[in-house]
Amino acid sequence: MDYFVNVTITGLTQGMIYSAFALALVLIWRSTRIVNFAQGSMAAATTFIALALIQAGASYWVALIVALVSGFVLGAVIERVIIRPVEGGPELNAVIVTLGLFVAIQALIAIIFGSSFQSFPTPFGVRGFELGDTTIPLTPTNLYVIAAVLVTMALLVALFRFTRIGLAMRASAFSQEVARLLGVKVGGMLTLGWGLAAVVGSLSGLLIAGGTFVYPAYMDSLIVFGFVAAIIGGLDSPVGAIVGGLILGLALSYVSGYAPRGSALVTISALVILIGVLLVRPGGLFSSSTARRA
Amino acid sequence: MSVVAAATVVSTLAACGGGDDGGGSSGGSGENEASDTGVTETSIKLGAHYPLTGVASPGYSEIPTGVTAYFDCLNKAGGVYDREIEFVYKDDTYNPAQTSQVTNELVLNDEIFAMMSGLGTPTHSAVVDFLNDEGVPDLFVSSGSLMWGDNPEEYPMSFGWQTDYESEGKIIGEYIANEFPDAKVGLFLQDDDFGEDGESGIRQYIDDQIVAAERYTPGNTNVGPQIAALQAAGADFVVGFNVPSYTALSQLTSLALGYDPQWFYSNVGSDPNLVGGLLNRFSEGKVTDAALLDGALTTGYLPTVDMTDNPWITEFQRIWDECGGEGELTNYRVYGMSQAYTMTQALQAAGQNPTREGLVEAVEAVGGEWEGPVFAPFRYSEDSHMGTGGMTIERIVGNGSEEVQPVRITDIGDAEIEEFDGEASTPPANAIPEEEAYEG
Repeated sequence: MDYFVNVTITGLTQGMIYSAFALALVLIWRSTRIVNFAQGSMAAATTFIALALIQAGASYWVALIVALVSGFVLGAVIERVIIRPVEGGPELNAVIVTLGLFVAIQALIAIIFGSSFQSFPTPFGVRGFELGDTTIPLTPTNLYVIAAVLVTMALLVALFRFTRIGLAMRASAFSQEVARLLGVKVGGMLTLGWGLAAVVGSLSGLLIAGGTFVYPAYMDSLIVFGFVAAIIGGLDSPVGAIVGGLILGLALSYVSGYAPRGSALVTISALVILIGVLLVRPGGLFSSSTARRA
Repeated sequence: MSVVAAATVVSTLAACGGGDDGGGSSGGSGENEASDTGVTETSIKLGAHYPLTGVASPGYSEIPTGVTAYFDCLNKAGGVYDREIEFVYKDDTYNPAQTSQVTNELVLNDEIFAMMSGLGTPTHSAVVDFLNDEGVPDLFVSSGSLMWGDNPEEYPMSFGWQTDYESEGKIIGEYIANEFPDAKVGLFLQDDDFGEDGESGIRQYIDDQIVAAERYTPGNTNVGPQIAALQAAGADFVVGFNVPSYTALSQLTSLALGYDPQWFYSNVGSDPNLVGGLLNRFSEGKVTDAALLDGALTTGYLPTVDMTDNPWITEFQRIWDECGGEGELTNYRVYGMSQAYTMTQALQAAGQNPTREGLVEAVEAVGGEWEGPVFAPFRYSEDSHMGTGGMTIERIVGNGSEEVQPVRITDIGDAEIEEFDGEASTPPANAIPEEEAYEG
């Protein structure tokens, strides 16, 4: 029984990490209709900026803020300089460009920060809470991740649902021409969308890194799981990203914990889950996109 | 691609002296000739693959810097038969597909004379057939898998170097049976030959004490379910056959689970400096003790940097100071230097004008007699290409370790474990061996 509880909690905390990354993917999809494969590398880049600051003596929170700001700048600059020229062409062009960025940014990180494996601090503890004489594998760091992801999700939902900027961003992403006719400054909205998505990506990068190890490619395995989580959730729903991440985290933890040689089956299971969900609901669990597609 | 290119390092010193052939190193009367691929009158080219980046790179990426430092100092002192050693190593990111690619480059493009110290079981497995088919000597593979040495007919060009994982497992198993007969033992294993060989060795002695065997897949960094399973099975003694980053991950996960068994990490995963370095930044959080590994058990087959009065460490420290790069002497650099030392013995034994076949013959014929930093002798012969078969058992204390059981030696299969009765060797002048050429 204890074992079941432990595997479940491990799965939920791991799932929250997938959710964090899935949220960033959802945000950029909603605001620009581009699937950004470079998201992981961009998050890794800002995480390394934060790590450099922490190593130079700055506090975690200062480093966090600097990472988020540099994430915004990085996202906006990439949109203006690299993505803008291919926007409006075939959809695939921008996606392929992000794939190229993914590799290029990772190489840049290795050149600037080195490729060694380093621990990344967390402002909270990494020991599990004790309940009586048992310890549950839920650490203060886990709680911080969960809280940060939920707050971010709430802010995103509010932004898209209750603000004019959110409406304008959705309109620009949905149909640039129509939005322009309605007086929306589409270019600015796209830049803003990339910037905000990169902020959320940076946050997820830092949350994922906290209390564990980073190296230039540390986001690689999470990118795959983050994508699966986002697609299970429907790719355009922040709530879906969270639910998708939790479902995936739980399922993979049970596979890893109960199947024979489970650790080896984890990656394959992610694919099986993805296909299963898409067979039942082709748009993902929380999708509303089929009705809104321009 | 730029990363790969940047990580490709060629170590050569500016040609030393030159021309002045008379009275070079050990004996030799004739002239130096370009006797085989990769050998010129003035140089010998060796190649290797290591994970210089990625999840397996901590620690391992330092090995080639130790090899390079040793060869640089050797070259300053005249090299081997007045040939300088050129050591070319490339990054395979611990990815077998990359290993194939860089090994192809080394053999076909760089035209190395021999491979030395290629690192990793899954990675080197991908190229062992190619190297043997091409007739490239594949010396001193940096992995304790049995496959480099237990069947010389299948892989005539390959040789192991460090204690193989099965022999290590046997020595660990015997120790637990003697010293911890009531322990309930859990195994934390890498899900490949590394874990399997270790498990088969350990089960020869304590099969009935083992309550759980959990396997992790390299690359999957969530080991929560595996550690939770060991805890649920009631294991109070955990033996890990895992790489260093997974030592750190298993320690972190155990903290979250409040799990505190006696740990025993096999040699590969136990470097206290490296693992401590990975974990220490968390001490800013709530890990109060940076030395999480304090009290854990491990094995040893080479002197370690904390043994400052060991004469090999003294010499290696001098070499690192004189010929090394940035940073401190670490156990991984000692490992690289020790391999370079054995390689130098092999090249000397291969004679003034070495051929690839002559090199292999020489290691088979006289390699079992070589002395060096490694605690116990190599098992090289025509029938076995296994490296050393001896290990101590050590307890980690702070950043060092203290011996709890002296060197015991064994071999694969059901060979007995015996106490090693030889003397610890001392390094020759400048830690440069003087092996005689082996004449068929």
